[in-house]
Amino acid sequence: MGLLNAVKDLRTVRQLLTKAEAEALRAGEELPGPEHLLLSALELPDGSAVRAFERVGADPSALRKAIESAHHGALAAAGFAEDEGGLEAPVERRPAPGVFRSTPQAQQVFQQAVALSKSTRPSLLRSAHVVAATCTLERGTVVRALTALGVDRARLKAAACAEVGIPG
Amino acid sequence: MKELKGIPAPDDPEAALAAVVALRRRATQLELAAVIEAVRQGWTWAQIGEALGISAQAAHKKFTPQLREPQGR
Repeated sequence: MGLLNAVKDLRTVRQLLTKAEAEALRAGEELPGPEHLLLSALELPDGSAVRAFERVGADPSALRKAIESAHHGALAAAGFAEDEGGLEAPVERRPAPGVFRSTPQAQQVFQQAVALSKSTRPSLLRSAHVVAATCTLERGTVVRALTALGVDRARLKAAACAEVGIPG
Repeated sequence: MKELKGIPAPDDPEAALAAVVALRRRATQLELAAVIEAVRQGWTWAQIGEALGISAQAAHKKFTPQLREPQGR
């Protein structure tokens, strides 16, 4: 990888992780999970994640609400009633200083996305790599949110791979 | 295991674990909101720690970085 591409890749990684952390803070959660990485990926400027969603007929802007609904539905199914909105996202928080911390599942998604990016030319991390890596998960909030959106993860993964030119 | 009153039996682990995640998330939100209000009302980190069952130092370390305007005390 040339120097310019390396710098570009670093910028993408920083954008992805910083935004994921901000998404977790906004939701009042301690650590970013795969759902926050996915929300972050949908805002990366390369746009391939958004296009992957659109290829399968899913509305990327509906993901945040689907995540909230997944949590709400889980509570309701277990018999814990609450208002649809639950607690307001409490306060403005700022990221803790130091190294980026996330859930193990988010780390797994990030590492897999990076590994996928190495198989493309140029080997730059793109937002669709994050989508494809997320779609390999089988459980958890992001899986339930995608299901709530009516997204078939295998199809979404194939669409994400098509966006970056790798076999699905 | 004895069932807790009012808590559904986890006969569907996937649904029960999803509820645990959602409850934990709510607890985190409530905890932070309550700590911020306590700080606003002038509580010390010792008092906050005592209420949460953790040390003053642990409370300070956990919450100060998350506050937009950290309250050093």
